[in-house]
Amino acid sequence: MNISKIANLKFFFTKTKNLSKFLGYLTFFLMLGGIYWGLFVAPSDYLQGESYRIMYLHVPAAWLSLQVYMIMAFAGFISLVWKVKIMEIISIQCAPIGAYFTLIALVTGMVWGKPTWGTYWVWDARLTSELILLFLYIGIIALYSSFSDKRQAVKITSLLTIVGLVNIPIIHFSVEWWNTLHQGPSVTKFDQPSMHISMLLPLLYMFVVFNLYFVAVLIKRVQLGIYSREKKSKWMEEYLNG
Amino acid sequence: MIKTLFYKEFQNYFRNLSSIFLPLIFFFLIISIFPLLIGPDKVLLNKIVPGIVWITIIFTTLLSSNNFFKDDYNNGYLETFLTSDSSVEFILFLKIISCWLFTCFPIIIFIPLVSIFFNISMKDSFIIISTLVIGSPVLISIGIFGSALTLGLAKNSILVPIIILPFFIPILIFSASAIESVSSGTPYEMQIYILLALLVFVLPTMPYLLKYTLSLSINN
Amino acid sequence: MYMENALENFEISISSATCLKSNNTIFSDINYTLKSGELLLVMGPNGCGKTTFIKSICGIQKLEEGAIKLNNVDISHGDSQHLGNFLYIGHKNSLNDSLTVFENLEYLCALDRSIQNNIKSEITRNLSFFGIENYKNYLVSKLSEGNKKKTSLTRLLLTNKKVWLLDEPLSYLDENGANKVLKLLNNHLIGGGIIIASSHIDFSVDIGNSKVFYMDNSL
Repeated sequence: MNISKIANLKFFFTKTKNLSKFLGYLTFFLMLGGIYWGLFVAPSDYLQGESYRIMYLHVPAAWLSLQVYMIMAFAGFISLVWKVKIMEIISIQCAPIGAYFTLIALVTGMVWGKPTWGTYWVWDARLTSELILLFLYIGIIALYSSFSDKRQAVKITSLLTIVGLVNIPIIHFSVEWWNTLHQGPSVTKFDQPSMHISMLLPLLYMFVVFNLYFVAVLIKRVQLGIYSREKKSKWMEEYLNG
Repeated sequence: MIKTLFYKEFQNYFRNLSSIFLPLIFFFLIISIFPLLIGPDKVLLNKIVPGIVWITIIFTTLLSSNNFFKDDYNNGYLETFLTSDSSVEFILFLKIISCWLFTCFPIIIFIPLVSIFFNISMKDSFIIISTLVIGSPVLISIGIFGSALTLGLAKNSILVPIIILPFFIPILIFSASAIESVSSGTPYEMQIYILLALLVFVLPTMPYLLKYTLSLSINN
Repeated sequence: MYMENALENFEISISSATCLKSNNTIFSDINYTLKSGELLLVMGPNGCGKTTFIKSICGIQKLEEGAIKLNNVDISHGDSQHLGNFLYIGHKNSLNDSLTVFENLEYLCALDRSIQNNIKSEITRNLSFFGIENYKNYLVSKLSEGNKKKTSLTRLLLTNKKVWLLDEPLSYLDENGANKVLKLLNNHLIGGGIIIASSHIDFSVDIGNSKVFYMDNSL
C-alpha cells in the first residue's frame, strides 16, 4: 500500500467536510441574487423582449456542460497515467453533474425555443450538439454502472472519456457543417455581435455562480465516492467513530 | 510471420462462412423493410435511400463488432497475443481489416444491386459506394473499440451501441452530406476529403488505442 | 536476441508484489528470487490467487505494489522487449475451435519470435511427443480436454523462450501425459531455464531444483 495515496483520500475526506456545506449555502444566496439581477434588473432585449432572460440559466449551463466534460477527461487522464486515486473519483463523479448541466441547457433551450421559433424543438446546431453531448454523458454513466468492480470501471470509463474529448470538436464541427448545409433557423441563439454590458455582466456573474455550484456539488459527491470506496478501511472507521 | 497471421484471420472467417453471409442477408432484409414501412413511393425512396443504406451499415457494424474479442478472450488467445513479443498493434490492425473485409466489403459490392431496386442513378450509386469504402472502416474500428471497452462485462449487448453511436456521428454527417451534394449537383470533394482525413487518422491510431484498452480490460 | 541473454546469469526477482482486485487483497508482499534452472511451484486451494499471481508476472495482471525484475530490469510496467523472454500458457489453452490442431499451433508459433526455424516441419515432428500426431488435422472443437491441453503444451517443445509461466499444466492430463510434461519441465531446467507453474498437485519431488510457494488467501 502506498501511504501517500491513501492519505490523499483521507486528507480530502476530512478537510473538505465543512467546505462543501459552506459553498452550498454561499451558492444558494449568490444564485438568488443572480436570478434577481437577470430577471428584474437587466434590460429587456429589443428583438426578443423578455424571453431572452432564460439565457441566464441556459448559457452558463451550456458552458458548464462542456467545461465539466473537460475537467472529467483531464482528471481521467491523470488517474490513468499517474494512478492518482482522488482523480479517479473526481473524474467519475463529474459525469452525473455534467449530464445535469447538459439537461438544464437542453430544457431551457427548448423553453426558449417555443416563443422564438414557435416550437419546442428545432434541429439547431447547438441544441443538437448539446443533445449528442448528453448521449456521451449517458454512455459514460452507463458504462461505469455496468461494471461491478468499480476500480476497473473507472479505468475503462476514463479511457472512453478521453477518446470522447478528442471527438467532441469533430462532432461539433460536423454538426455545424450539417446545420449550415440545411439552412437552419434564421434566428441563431444569443448571437448578438456585441451584447450590452448591462446584459453581459449578470451572465458572467451567473457563470461564476454556476461554477461555484459545480464545485460544491462535486466536493459532496467526491466525499460520498470516497466513503463508498473506503468504508471498510481502518481510517474511515476511526474517523467515523472518533 | 505476417503472412501466417493474416492467413489465420482469413481462415477463421472462411471456416464460418455464415459470418460472411449473415451480415449481407441482414443488410438486404433491413433495406427491403423500409419500402414496406413508408410505401413504394419511388421519389421518396430514392431521396432517402442513402440514409437507409447508412442506417443499415450502422446496424451491421454494431452487430458484427459487438462481441469481437469475446471468442479470443474466452479461449485465452487474447492473453497469449497480448503477452507475446510480436507486434500486438499489427495483429490488431489485421483483425480490424479482416473484420471490415468480411462484413462491410461484401455489402459494398452489392450496392449496385440495391441501386437497381431503388432506382438510383450511376453517379449517386458511385458516391454511396465511395463514402461507404472510406467511412465503414472507421465505423468498424470504433465498434471494435466499443467491444474492447466492454470486454470484461458478461452482458454488453445494448451497451456498446449506446456508448459508441455518438462517435459515429461525424462519419454519418459527412457521408450523407457528400451524397446529397452529388444528387443536388453541388461540390462534394470537401466532404470526401474530411472523410479521408478521419480514415487516415483513425485507422493507424486505433490499434494502439485497442492494445491499451485490451490491456486494461483483461486486467480484472 | 533471446539466445544471447547469458544463460548463467538469468534471474527473476519478485519483490514485495501486492495485487488488489476491487479492493480485495489477492496477495501481498511476495518476495522470491529465481535463478536459471529453478522452478517455483505455486500451490494452494481454488481461488487463492494462483492464476492471478502467474498472470502478474507477465504483466496481464497489473500489480498494485512491488516489482518484477528480469536481470535487474523492472518489467512490471509491460516492456514488450523483455516480455520476449516469457512463454505464458494459461489455464485456457488459446486454441481456436474452428481451426485444426496443426493450424492452431502454426499460428501460435507465429506469435513467438524465439522460433526461427521452419515451423511446419517442427510442429509435425513434435506432435508425436504427446502422441497426438493422429489428430493433426482435426478441428480443435472435436478434441477432448486432455488432447486440447496436450496440443497447447506442444508449444513447450517448439519455443526457445527462457522463462515458462504455466498455469495448471497438469490439469486434464492422464498419467502418461503428466509424466511427459514433467520430463519437459526437467529438461528445460537443465537447459538453464526458469519455470513458474501453478498446480494443486505437488510435483516438486519430481523436479530437481524447485521451490514451493503455498498461497493461502484467507478472504
